[in-house]
Amino acid sequence: MLELLSVTAGYDRRAPVLSDVTLTVEPGAAVGLLGPSGCGKSTLARVAALLHEPYAGRVVIDGEPARGWRHRAPRAQRTAFGVVFQQPRLSADPRLSLADLIAEPLRAGRLEHTARVRELADAVGLGGDLLGRRPHEVSDGQLQRACLARALTLRPRWLICDEMTAMLDASTTAALVGVVEEYRRETGAGLLAVGHDRVLLERWCGRTVEWGERGPADDA
Amino acid sequence: MADQNLDWRTRGARRRSTRTWRVRSSAAIVALVVLAVLLVPPLTNLDQQAVDLTAKLQPPSWAHPFGTDDVGRDLLLRCVYGLRVSLLVGVVAAVVATVIGTAVGALSGALGGWADRAVMRVVDTFSSVPHLLLGIFVVAMFRPGVWPVVVSVGLTHWLSTARIVRAEVLSLRSRPYVDAAISGGASRRRVTVRHLLPGVLPQAALAAVLMVPHAIWHESALSFLGLGLPAHQASLGTLVQSARGSLLAGDWWPTLFPGLFIIVPTLAVAGLGGAWRERLDPRRRSELTL
Amino acid sequence: MTPVLSVERLSVRFRMRDGVSVRAVSDASFDLAAGECLALVGESGCGKSVLASALLGLLPENAETAGSAHLGDTDLLAADERTLARRIRGRRVGLVPQSPAAHLTPVRTVRSQLAETISQLTRAGRRGPQLATAVAAAADRAAFPLDHLDRYPHELSGGLAQRAATALALVGDAPLLLADEPTTGLDRDLVERTVDELRRHIGDDRALLLITHDLAAAERIADRVAVMYASRIVELADADAFFGSPGPRHPYARGLLNALPDREFAPIPGMPPELTTLPDGCAFAARCARADDTCAWVPGLLDGVACHHPETAGAEVTRA
Repeated sequence: MLELLSVTAGYDRRAPVLSDVTLTVEPGAAVGLLGPSGCGKSTLARVAALLHEPYAGRVVIDGEPARGWRHRAPRAQRTAFGVVFQQPRLSADPRLSLADLIAEPLRAGRLEHTARVRELADAVGLGGDLLGRRPHEVSDGQLQRACLARALTLRPRWLICDEMTAMLDASTTAALVGVVEEYRRETGAGLLAVGHDRVLLERWCGRTVEWGERGPADDA
Repeated sequence: MADQNLDWRTRGARRRSTRTWRVRSSAAIVALVVLAVLLVPPLTNLDQQAVDLTAKLQPPSWAHPFGTDDVGRDLLLRCVYGLRVSLLVGVVAAVVATVIGTAVGALSGALGGWADRAVMRVVDTFSSVPHLLLGIFVVAMFRPGVWPVVVSVGLTHWLSTARIVRAEVLSLRSRPYVDAAISGGASRRRVTVRHLLPGVLPQAALAAVLMVPHAIWHESALSFLGLGLPAHQASLGTLVQSARGSLLAGDWWPTLFPGLFIIVPTLAVAGLGGAWRERLDPRRRSELTL
Repeated sequence: MTPVLSVERLSVRFRMRDGVSVRAVSDASFDLAAGECLALVGESGCGKSVLASALLGLLPENAETAGSAHLGDTDLLAADERTLARRIRGRRVGLVPQSPAAHLTPVRTVRSQLAETISQLTRAGRRGPQLATAVAAAADRAAFPLDHLDRYPHELSGGLAQRAATALALVGDAPLLLADEPTTGLDRDLVERTVDELRRHIGDDRALLLITHDLAAAERIADRVAVMYASRIVELADADAFFGSPGPRHPYARGLLNALPDREFAPIPGMPPELTTLPDGCAFAARCARADDTCAWVPGLLDGVACHHPETAGAEVTRA
């Protein structure tokens, strides 16, 4: 269970982007969070992934309260999440090849990576010499495939997809959603997918939550 | 592919050629300067200090292309030796300034919070005092020589580099790829060493290159004021300084040629640095991607 | 009637530093009539934005073009920078940009930017009541609220920034509007409002070239659809027939449509080829279930489809 309880967060304490927001994702469930741009849903996704410290409220991961944010979160808690962002160009270090990009989380933990990178590259459909290229040498779609592979590298229990497909064409969108769903079938991971495309989220997620006037109108 | 039977046209060819011309001439001048200062002293056994009172203050001629000074020393040779000293001071000082600036800027940006604010206040304070004044203060504490000048320039020029590096680190720190690295379990140190520093190094290196002309000017200014190098040691600044008297007498060459030696190489270095900066510009880089 | 824009065998390639050449657009031909909206769709990297840049003369220096693109008497590909800057951009081609927030000058209000554009492009003068009226009229035309005119771009929501950019694009009364991914990053309601407004602006006497990867947006307003794949236009069809019955005829276009979440939501297997190493034959053959030996030759765009084995209308009728 991923629980976001009475979260108030933003970039200016006097004018928080979201206040007193509560949202829960059941184990293994896929929840789509639907809302207009600028409503604060991406901030909520960053709070959920322990990447943004809220002003108030709690995040509880599988019964265990979050013990910090960003670098102050324990490594095990941070790596329980795989995150994919909207813009692959900004989400990839321009100096790393796609293979290094995917291997980075394993390298950070000094783990063996060759086989896992191969496996992930196959899963997201990055074949041939693409793995040796750097971000500016591939298309948005190819780069987002690598970013998704990186999110799956450490086999996270939770996936946070923040507008993962907003920049992508229909076929790549369907392919990436397919990869996420395949991973969830194998591992039983839960998903919080943030987006503004109702048709997509309703097709993808078991439950979609609409962002109302004051936050997600969660009736679960 | 059937490219051959199409009639291909290009646009903007002229703009490119003027830029290539600028870059090439800058590179040629820099190469010439480096070769001259490296090769002339060891390969020729001419003595730059050779005094010839029978040939003092001669205008440019075949024997002395830049003329001679008030004790008959060949000015071309003096200029090359002067450039050697100025360039050495400039490069070393620029490196010192860049290392200090990068370290302070990166630390300040990576730590953030009150440490960042404190460091930036110090930088602001130093920046509000004129460079030269601070530089004079530093050289005044030592006997005249090369190293006090290097220290003076290094200690006064790291401020702008620190600002540039800090701003760059701050902008990189908020990139989603840093978020992704944190989520992937990377430690603070790993994020700094692997993602932040490599991102700012090209900017820092560029700042160092653009700093070289600045440092040369600074050295010249100090020497001209009589605070830098001792008068007998040829540097571009001391050459211009010692030529003041003869300029008033209407002898233009002892001032003109060292002056040109200050201006032309610095322009060339700045030209190369500018071209490099254009290549670093993400907008230009993105032109090459589709 | 003569078309507003007539693109004839337009090709663009980039010469890279290592001697490699990238074919971004190959042999694109289409006409665009007044009152018509043509949607150019395809995935990122297929060359559709390069085509737009070529029409505006905004290609980088290492680009080479072939073919022609006539806007009235002017060949946009052959025109020099001076002509493009003084007579084409803004005056005869209006650009609705991809990210309005980046397109607007951050340090100036919407009013001052509109006023500048108006005094540059029209005869409304440089100041005075005439200009003020013109600014209000221009804002009104793009449904930009007049009480927001004195705001800076960062004070505007995504939708309003898009309208401000559209207002700027409309000032010159250009016969051709070029919208390059105008809806990227906007949410669905805003996408629909934005494209509806674009549609309204073209009326009967302008033409709109809408470049997008958003098929739903294209379906909403386009009269015709051009599908681009690996630098080529592979299908050029009537929008009703394309999105409805009998549906797309090129296997790629069909796959792309079927990948939509409200259809089969199934990706096309594989990935598009690199533009540096395009195959000699049909670029889609490697991913295509229908491919055979004939696909070793590039199919020309015949009767609206560039395929040796297009879906036939008859087959679709029985399926439906």
